[in-house]
Amino acid sequence: MEELRELAKKLLQEKQVNAVVGYECDRRGVRPAFVDDPAGCDRLVFDHRCVQNLPAYLSPRRTNVAGLGRLAVVVKQCDARAVAGLIRESQLKRENLVLIGVRCGGVAANPNESRELGAETLALRCYGCSGTETAMADYVVGEPKTVPAAGGDRDARLAEIEKMSPEERLALWKEWLSRCTRCHACRQVCPMCFCERCVAEKTQPNWIESSPHIQGNFSWNVTRALHLAGRCVDCGECERACPAQIPLGLLNRKLAKIMSARYGFAVTDDPSTPAPIGSYRLDDGQEFIL
Amino acid sequence: MSRIGVFICHCGENIGRTVDCAQVAQAMGELPGVVHSVDYKYMCSDPGQALIKQAIKEHNLDGVVVGACSPHMHEKTFRKAAAAAGLNPYLCEMANIREHCSWIHEDRAEATEKAKGLVRFIVEKIKYNRPLSNIFIPVNRRALVIGGGIAGIQAALDIADGGREVILVEKESSIGGHMSQLSETFPTLDCSQCILTPRMVEVAQHPRIKLLAYSEVESVDGYIGNFEVKIRQKARSIDVSKCNGCGECTKNCPNKKIPSEFEQGLGFRTAIYVPFPQAVPNIPVLDRDNCALFKGRAKGVKKQVCGKCATVCGRRAIDFDQQDSFITEKVGAIIVATGYQLYWIGKEQESEILHGYGEYGYGTIPDVIDGLQFERLASASGPTGGKILRPSDGKEPKKIVFLQCIGSRDRAKGMEYCSKICCMYVAKHTMLYHHKVHDGKAIVFYMDIRAGGKGYDEFVRRAIEESHALYLRGRVSSLTRNGDTIRVQGVDTLSGEPVSIDADMVVLATAMRPQPGITSLAQKLSVSYDLHGFLNEAHPKLRPVETNTAGIFVAGACQAPRDIPDSVAMASATASKVLGLFSNEQLEREPLIARVDRQTCTGCFHCERVCPYGAVERFEVKDRKGNLIKVIAEVNQGVCQGCGTCQATCPSKSIELDGFTDEQIFAAVNAL
Repeated sequence: MEELRELAKKLLQEKQVNAVVGYECDRRGVRPAFVDDPAGCDRLVFDHRCVQNLPAYLSPRRTNVAGLGRLAVVVKQCDARAVAGLIRESQLKRENLVLIGVRCGGVAANPNESRELGAETLALRCYGCSGTETAMADYVVGEPKTVPAAGGDRDARLAEIEKMSPEERLALWKEWLSRCTRCHACRQVCPMCFCERCVAEKTQPNWIESSPHIQGNFSWNVTRALHLAGRCVDCGECERACPAQIPLGLLNRKLAKIMSARYGFAVTDDPSTPAPIGSYRLDDGQEFIL
Repeated sequence: MSRIGVFICHCGENIGRTVDCAQVAQAMGELPGVVHSVDYKYMCSDPGQALIKQAIKEHNLDGVVVGACSPHMHEKTFRKAAAAAGLNPYLCEMANIREHCSWIHEDRAEATEKAKGLVRFIVEKIKYNRPLSNIFIPVNRRALVIGGGIAGIQAALDIADGGREVILVEKESSIGGHMSQLSETFPTLDCSQCILTPRMVEVAQHPRIKLLAYSEVESVDGYIGNFEVKIRQKARSIDVSKCNGCGECTKNCPNKKIPSEFEQGLGFRTAIYVPFPQAVPNIPVLDRDNCALFKGRAKGVKKQVCGKCATVCGRRAIDFDQQDSFITEKVGAIIVATGYQLYWIGKEQESEILHGYGEYGYGTIPDVIDGLQFERLASASGPTGGKILRPSDGKEPKKIVFLQCIGSRDRAKGMEYCSKICCMYVAKHTMLYHHKVHDGKAIVFYMDIRAGGKGYDEFVRRAIEESHALYLRGRVSSLTRNGDTIRVQGVDTLSGEPVSIDADMVVLATAMRPQPGITSLAQKLSVSYDLHGFLNEAHPKLRPVETNTAGIFVAGACQAPRDIPDSVAMASATASKVLGLFSNEQLEREPLIARVDRQTCTGCFHCERVCPYGAVERFEVKDRKGNLIKVIAEVNQGVCQGCGTCQATCPSKSIELDGFTDEQIFAAVNAL
């Protein structure tokens, strides 16, 4: 923790960056922090409660963040996938950014949980993660840590749903999606949802009906998931942000598995990996073309 | 509220037989926004069009829907009619109730209902049509011709004589192509070089032709009217500006035993050489693979091994350290005239679709030669001075067997196509042989004699009747050595008898294939090609010299097997197309292309990645002080073909295809 604070202080003092984006902690728990004063660096923390995906602030659409100038961002290995994604889609320039890679021992599924991190409390996305820093990092802080062993099969719930009949699945999703209030928190928190004008807000024509009705709710949630196919960085923030507790992660996960099976694509923290949309290989599966 | 006119065509009986056109017109008249709806026997006829023009004026229409045939057929007709009446042509659309309805259905009631749906679909779409105006693109009025054979020469000269600049790129060190290797040409037996070389000189001296010999096209960017071509000028090892073509270097080159490509391996050349005396430009090229100096360099010998050519060169034109150089040329049109090669029918093949003919001993029996080798033997400038002599022992052959269709029209081992020129040149060969060896016997094995063309059949008759060539219909199963001669085992299928001939020489009329490297060139040009590598024309009958990429044309044997008259005719056709294109300073084209909403584009460039035409470019949005705000996508109006892939891909729906906007399609689909 001291190492992180010292590094942040140094970067700010040497004016290498205008602000450091990291995590801070108060009595309500951990939250993102923007530190632009070397004296404030002591606020910075990093532990298993630091679930937020900070690169979500890096989209050029967040003009108040973009206005800060050059930033240093604390990134876990998984967060770096969002940085890579933003670079791949021309939203970021790597040279305008300092990445502080942290060695991570896994994060909690629920950051407000008071229990120690273990198999039961570990976030699903940390199952099988090595916890090492990202290869993109400019600086690496922290001792190597071990991520607790997985508490079972990450995809157990997905497998259950896959076993259902289409009618049962539809009924299940109808029940879940009927709770959607179209608050768009899933979109606002997503690092890869960076459009200036979301398709959901296009009115001529109005592709997605905007009232929170089951029909529009389906359109919105399916469109959101499909727009993230091959792009979702698996940070789980959409599901965590959803006030209606809709298991959005299941949709993302299912699409990620399809992308992997059909195109051999897995989201990585290497920005030079071509995006599956717009890259063409002769051996691409075509069996879905009638 | 829209004021739409609907016009339902009977197309004689074509639509009227299956669809109740009056009922469709009546139903459409009741749609909101439709103020006028009629049916008529032939909408495309003059009275039919007059009906539309009159209605536009009378009812002050702001949209016209014609329910008739495919828009491919008559969209232009009706848009022109609408424009004549003062309506923006892009406010006129067609609903296809012929190909999509009457021709494919039998039940009248059901077909009528479907026709109503199809027209209603377009009525709803047209409510969201916007007036569009045609796009004008500047044209760079210079042409690039790739290939300096007879087709390329003809095209270049025609365009240059028409007043436009031409860049002629030839990969060999001289222009002239295969025609320069031929002895005499059918069906008039005029000397090939005598008619070709003046044309070659004309190219070299033409003020509007820039000849780039020993050069190849490296890359092609851009689009019709605005191509940018990068050309690699291969290192000749000669400073072209100093060389005067005196030939001292070639005379003094000690390495004189290199098989000459121009002589088809029947003669020799030096390491520094001009391929043939009439070469244009008459500047030698140093073959680095066979030059003693370069061989020494490759082995790491420190001392300079040879360098004799440089010593004797009075103008100090030899440059052993010359490197390939690149130039970029901006042109408005490109003509591909890369020509052919002969099918190498030896057993070893470069591609799995080719099998080769081991049984003919080509490449192992020296007196089994191909048609081009015979041309060199018969040529007065050839290695034998025009005497027909056997490559093996230099004796005059008294019996030559000619085999037609070797590798052509053979689905099992060769090409399924007919190489077109072989029947004629074999007849010519028998004549040349008869003229030079009076007591010689020419025997031809053929499948059919295809002599379609002016004076062609008469020519073949002359070979048979005056030059006494013996034509046997049948195929040859094998060629084997038999002492001094070649044993030809075949069958005469007209008599049904097996035939065995001991020939002094055998000439194989092997198939024509496109030049090696044609597919990579085609990919650089985005021109499609067939299984064999021949370039595809845009339409086999109506657009025979155009390709599907606008501004790129094909001439000669790179498109299909062609003889000289065909190649020249094609070349002139491409030249006339190019001159037509260049007759305007600007190109006019339909505005049905993609358009980016600059406000909402996020610049993720998925569109750039999926565009098959490379039409998406990057555009910097700046504020008044010049500060960069964002980088977004922009569609190049010249390149975009309006396929709509970008529109489907854009996540924020910030690209629209004019004429097929989301709004139009949305409204149309909702009408179903």
